[in-house]
Amino acid sequence: MLPPIQLNGFNNNTAVKYNNVSHDLSIIPSEKLKYNIHSWSSYSQPYHPKNIMVNKPQDQSSRWSSSSNNHMQFVTIKLDKMSIVKTITFGKYHKVHVCNLREFRVYGGLTPNNMIELLHSGLINDCKTETFALKFKTNDIVFPCLYIKIVPLVAWGTNFNFSIWYVELRGHTQQQIVEKAYHEYINYRENEVIRLCLKHFRQRCFLDTFNSLQQLTNIKLEDQLLTNLHTNLVINGDFDTTEEILYRASERNLFDDYIRDCQCKPVWRRINATDKNGNSPYMRGGHQMCIDSELGKIYMFGGWDGTKNLADFWEYDENLEEWTCLSLDTSKDGGPTPRSCHRIAYDSINKQIYVLGYFIETPDISANKESDFWKYDIASRRWIKLSSNTAAKGGPSLICDHQMLIEPKSQMIYIFGGRNQSKNNGEDNYSGLYSYSIKEDKWRLLRSDTNQPEYSVQLKSRIEHAMLINPETNELYIFAGKRYKDFTERKNNYLSDFYIYRIDDDSVIEVSKNYTMQGGPDGGFTQRATMDVELGEIYMLSGLLNEKNSNVDTIKNILWVYNIKKNKWTKIYQNTNYGSEYNNRISEIEPCTRFASQLVYDTKRKVHYLFGGNPGEVIDQSIRLNDFWELKLVRPNNEDILRSAKFHIRKQKYKEICNTGEYLQALKYLQNNVSEVVNHNDENESKEFRELTKFLFNIKQNPNNNPKTNNIQEKNDMLNDVYQERTELYEFLLKYFPNSMKEPLENLVDLVPIS
Amino acid sequence: MSSRSNYNNNSLHSSFKSKSVCQLNCRYCNGVLCRRGMKAILLADTRVELYSTDAAPIGVQLVANDYVTRNCLCQIRDVACLGCGNVVGYHVTQPCEVCMSACNNGHFWMFHNDSVKAKERMDPTGQKPLLWAQLLYHDKSPNSYDDECEIICR
Repeated sequence: MLPPIQLNGFNNNTAVKYNNVSHDLSIIPSEKLKYNIHSWSSYSQPYHPKNIMVNKPQDQSSRWSSSSNNHMQFVTIKLDKMSIVKTITFGKYHKVHVCNLREFRVYGGLTPNNMIELLHSGLINDCKTETFALKFKTNDIVFPCLYIKIVPLVAWGTNFNFSIWYVELRGHTQQQIVEKAYHEYINYRENEVIRLCLKHFRQRCFLDTFNSLQQLTNIKLEDQLLTNLHTNLVINGDFDTTEEILYRASERNLFDDYIRDCQCKPVWRRINATDKNGNSPYMRGGHQMCIDSELGKIYMFGGWDGTKNLADFWEYDENLEEWTCLSLDTSKDGGPTPRSCHRIAYDSINKQIYVLGYFIETPDISANKESDFWKYDIASRRWIKLSSNTAAKGGPSLICDHQMLIEPKSQMIYIFGGRNQSKNNGEDNYSGLYSYSIKEDKWRLLRSDTNQPEYSVQLKSRIEHAMLINPETNELYIFAGKRYKDFTERKNNYLSDFYIYRIDDDSVIEVSKNYTMQGGPDGGFTQRATMDVELGEIYMLSGLLNEKNSNVDTIKNILWVYNIKKNKWTKIYQNTNYGSEYNNRISEIEPCTRFASQLVYDTKRKVHYLFGGNPGEVIDQSIRLNDFWELKLVRPNNEDILRSAKFHIRKQKYKEICNTGEYLQALKYLQNNVSEVVNHNDENESKEFRELTKFLFNIKQNPNNNPKTNNIQEKNDMLNDVYQERTELYEFLLKYFPNSMKEPLENLVDLVPIS
Repeated sequence: MSSRSNYNNNSLHSSFKSKSVCQLNCRYCNGVLCRRGMKAILLADTRVELYSTDAAPIGVQLVANDYVTRNCLCQIRDVACLGCGNVVGYHVTQPCEVCMSACNNGHFWMFHNDSVKAKERMDPTGQKPLLWAQLLYHDKSPNSYDDECEIICR
């Protein structure tokens, strides 16, 4: 049997067609799926796999337990009906148990021998039921399953066998929907096989077969533009038209996907701005900033200067590079008291700023523990107190280190997590997810930390995490931060999980339980995150880190980019050295390491701004920073890509001139046309260019010009060589184009099993 | 820590020498936990009956962390059956002074009565129960699964 074909990269128009099923699925509620046990690797008496079908947390024997703890263990479930499987829920024993699965994988498919991975995660060793979202579509193709295979990898106790107590699957079984999805999935696979064949035949120059297969099936291998590119480059060898096609493609912004995927280069610039009197904001950490990208204005409020809370309020103009102090103490201007670890959020429609929460020193028992809620109107320069105690109105108690943001169109504010400081009468340690309707002045608790809907992914509350909103999909992205079981626990528990909260249907999707395991950032605290919806990217600057295999916190400035669509983290920047001496020395080149800083992103100008923070100075712990930085992420542009493409095209043309034996012409072409498109600053490219001269001394005899060799075989070989070279060049140039336009990335030959 | 009398390396107090040796199986999965079990009572609470042994048993492993009970200051840690993972007893990782000075059998590995099934082992004649006096101290190796039936190759 052939391995499963990966589901990625295919026609745009097909993708649109398949959206229907996904759309249906979001409306219909999922149901519990009936199943039977199909097969298993082993079990020890009396722990038969069929026990996982019933949930009896009190009964130690109501579980599957393997008879070995090697990596060959599995249980395969056969569903009663072919279904679209959306979640898996694991029940557990009523006590902790060493046999619980610390790490496992779940696979699904239509046959037991051909399954794809739906989940890779782990259970917490406690007695709480856990639900995980399963992958049920890739690239908008929904795929139904008949078999689900659970593969234990690691148990909580080493040397112990694996046990699963209870498994519940939820999804859709409605015949109409599942059959529709099934046919679309089968069609998709059939289409992909044809396209793989088309690619293979054309690559191998079986052009008659290629053409007849294309005519018979009427399946397109690629976008017409790329077919033109192929015809001109590979078949006709018309290099000038090839360049012309690429130029037109760049004008249509077709290289944008490629540009987005290119590693960007961070460029830091220190801003030494002041106000008209030469003043600038003092040093601080735990402050707040927000940005008006439209007008290019940044607002900063409050923070901790190392000894006291601040209530100063500043505005920075990006165009003038100038600060303005709006207030030295907002509490004297009818606004909030000095504070730190609060949150502010900016309403881009009404140009208003909201302020909620602050941190109280623990010894300060006399402090007022009521949560005030403020609005600042930029136009009238006026503070408005919306509430002196949000808890009394159904909102959060006094919290700090939470997250707050505004969805401007619906005029809704979302607040998630934070440490609950007015905790008495058995309230939760952590504040849940709240919404606040600006128009109705109404609070709603969407998720409390401890009481969450059954059989759904749990949204664990936390502090100093990141939360962002995608206004296009109306989704909240929640990740990172810190959570103790209770606040007396000293153990670090930095999170590296990632959740999506869908506002429209009030549901939670688990994107990752541990992105560190998937090559993403280490677990951390006080990460600062921003988002560019246009580019589909999230940026995260690390603060305090708890690196793998270490119990010591480190502070590092590491910048990660997360590609939302691809669910992929990439590290793009890290300042490697640590220590105040080094930090001072480079203070004009890049920011020194810090946490509790503030980072905002101007979505219009595509620039980040970083201010202040805590450098984590060991000797003088009251030191805070007041430096202000601009960060640009530089990527190659259309011109860079065109130049590089031309270099490779002209290199090929030059080689082909060499083949004709016209070496004077070849030399001239190398000196003029190739040279002008070489980036001589790029050492590798420059070297490659210099090495091209060797072809001048390696000139092949052109069989057409040589009367002695009328050998057809030899002539064919040479044409074949040229065809192969041009095909390689064609495939190289394809990397600039979006996946949706081009031939499949996979090769038919790779599907041949070697056994 | 369990039962009276002082344990002096290779000499057991006479009252223990006359006790029979038990094989202990897991009550949950029936796996063999230990072949050198002794019925005993808990020093700190004589109402509690349990089984003890003198060396790390073959069928269990330590789990989780040390803790202290209300009875005494001994640091103990649970042991779980390697077959099914259920907690079947505990190991005294650090005995307290009170228990050490009291009369004890020197056993640091305990099995809960309700987690094990005990069966008396027979002596080489197969007629009478095997007694602790007949077990030699140097046979204590936890790896010797079958310490009285020597296989002779001849």
